[in-house]
Amino acid sequence: MTKLLEWVFGVSVLGAAWAFVTFDILKMSIPRPYREVAWPMPLYLLVTFGCYSLATVGYRVATFNDCDDAAKELQAQIIEAREDLRKKGLKF
Amino acid sequence: MWLTHHRNSATCLAKLVKLLGNATVTDKAVGASLVGFSLLLFTYYSIWVIVLPFVDADHVLHQYFLPREYTVILPGVAALVVLLCIGAFVGAVMLKNRKPKKVD
Repeated sequence: MTKLLEWVFGVSVLGAAWAFVTFDILKMSIPRPYREVAWPMPLYLLVTFGCYSLATVGYRVATFNDCDDAAKELQAQIIEAREDLRKKGLKF
Repeated sequence: MWLTHHRNSATCLAKLVKLLGNATVTDKAVGASLVGFSLLLFTYYSIWVIVLPFVDADHVLHQYFLPREYTVILPGVAALVVLLCIGAFVGAVMLKNRKPKKVD
């Protein structure tokens, strides 16, 4: 069973459960508040996933660290490279 | 030709390294506001979708929330707006990078 098939199977099972509850296919007489919660569920999961993505991006932006040593080393290497190229004849 | 390209990259890299060193305060502020906004949005939407159906119709909590149809309309409109913005951005970048046709 490939990963794709597994995911498709899982999503169809959940989708079928949602459809049965929302459209009252088996006439199960679920109490009204539970049906009110069930029908926006796909959209709610999408909004939750969006919020989680936004929060993760925000958190990673806030905790992104500078690498001062690497920056200094890189600038020194740039100066070195410029000198080297100047010696070889390139005019800056 | 190769030497000219290398010189441009060296100056670009130097500018980039200088830029990265001074952006931490704004970064933290932007990151924190993103996290705060998404938490707020998640809490409001969760109460709206999951908690409110179990609360009596005459409870004072209902007056802080819009009618239930908007639980579908508002995310739909927001998704459309996001797609429009992405499309506009891609279009603008593509327009900017058009290469003029060679004249014979």
